Amino acid sequence: MFDFTVAGHVVPVFLLVLTGFTVGVVGGFIGVGGGYMVTPALIVFGFPGYIASGTDACHIAGKAVISSIRHRQLGNIDWTIALGMVGGTMLGVELGVRLLNYTKAIGLSGVTLLAASVIVMIGLFVYTQLETQKSHKKLEADQKAGKELGREMKVSKMPLFFQRIPIMPIIKAKRARLVISMWVIVIVGMFTGVLAGFLGVGGGFIRVPSMIYVIGTTSHLAVGTDLVEIVVSGGYGALRQSMSGNVDFMAVFFMIIGAMLGAQFGSLATSFVRGPAIRYILSYSLILATTGAFLRLIYVLTGAKIEWLSFIAVVFTLGEMVFLCLFICTLVYFAVRYQHGKSCPAWVPPLVVQAS
Amino acid sequence: MRWFIDTMVGYWVLLLAISLGLSAIVYEVFLKQLMR
Repeated sequence: MFDFTVAGHVVPVFLLVLTGFTVGVVGGFIGVGGGYMVTPALIVFGFPGYIASGTDACHIAGKAVISSIRHRQLGNIDWTIALGMVGGTMLGVELGVRLLNYTKAIGLSGVTLLAASVIVMIGLFVYTQLETQKSHKKLEADQKAGKELGREMKVSKMPLFFQRIPIMPIIKAKRARLVISMWVIVIVGMFTGVLAGFLGVGGGFIRVPSMIYVIGTTSHLAVGTDLVEIVVSGGYGALRQSMSGNVDFMAVFFMIIGAMLGAQFGSLATSFVRGPAIRYILSYSLILATTGAFLRLIYVLTGAKIEWLSFIAVVFTLGEMVFLCLFICTLVYFAVRYQHGKSCPAWVPPLVVQAS
Repeated sequence: MRWFIDTMVGYWVLLLAISLGLSAIVYEVFLKQLMR
């Protein structure tokens, strides 16, 4: 047990380390900061909302640095796309915040925010899930036909449309091996930034699918490139929150201990799987986060008095992190078994890479 | 029982059940007294 000086709450330290680890694994694997998981969890641990938010921002920045270093070593970062998107995102976040203030001013914020969150999250989940299932089936068919499989498989033709937009300057993203108008990258960054600013989230879960389905990068590259962006935006968020005194650095310290291991494991885990595996986990995180938010909202809307609803909301908040982490860890376990010629479930081989 | 391992949906359900179970234990043992 540990007594926190800022938050003034007694919180089991191992829970903070465990939270850092699980969200580190998930963030390193799907390229998100994980604020939509960590902030509610810290509130459950007894932190006041503003401390939970500030502490989470600091932990995200630290974790993103660790994951980015690993992904750089794995060759999963395209710096041209990362820099183009950072500029667009910064502008987009500012526009999103102004849009939020406007909806507040006309008295629509609560309803609009909820509707927008649900539509965006469910829309992304459905598209990602359907596309990934088709890619999975195609990989299965190719594997049965004895074809050599690459690390990526996408059936979506959407990137081809955006890559053909002929607005100068046209740039060549060397690592991503694609030629695209810089405006597409900047506008995608801006659009995801608006959503992030409007919905009050970091936006990794919007940017990663956008990079895959609009710009046309591989899933691995989208993960690494988005983490670079989180270093910049998370770093800025951490600085602002620290200056406002919203950060409990002792809690950040313990969470980073877990994240140091988790983020490296999650990043390295991407080298065991093909693109669709990353997109599966991404889509699961989208639907679980939406369900979790819904449960917490119902609890609040019912006056925060129904105990069994509180129990379900808390268990789901923690359960979604554990679920995603377990899924990634067991996928790596199955991948290693498959690489060593041992038995594994029939759905695993198309999703994991063979031994080199 | 094999269905929970051999199909992706089954595996999804199995892991979700395990995760929620673990979280329920953590809540009961460590967090219940912290909640206000």
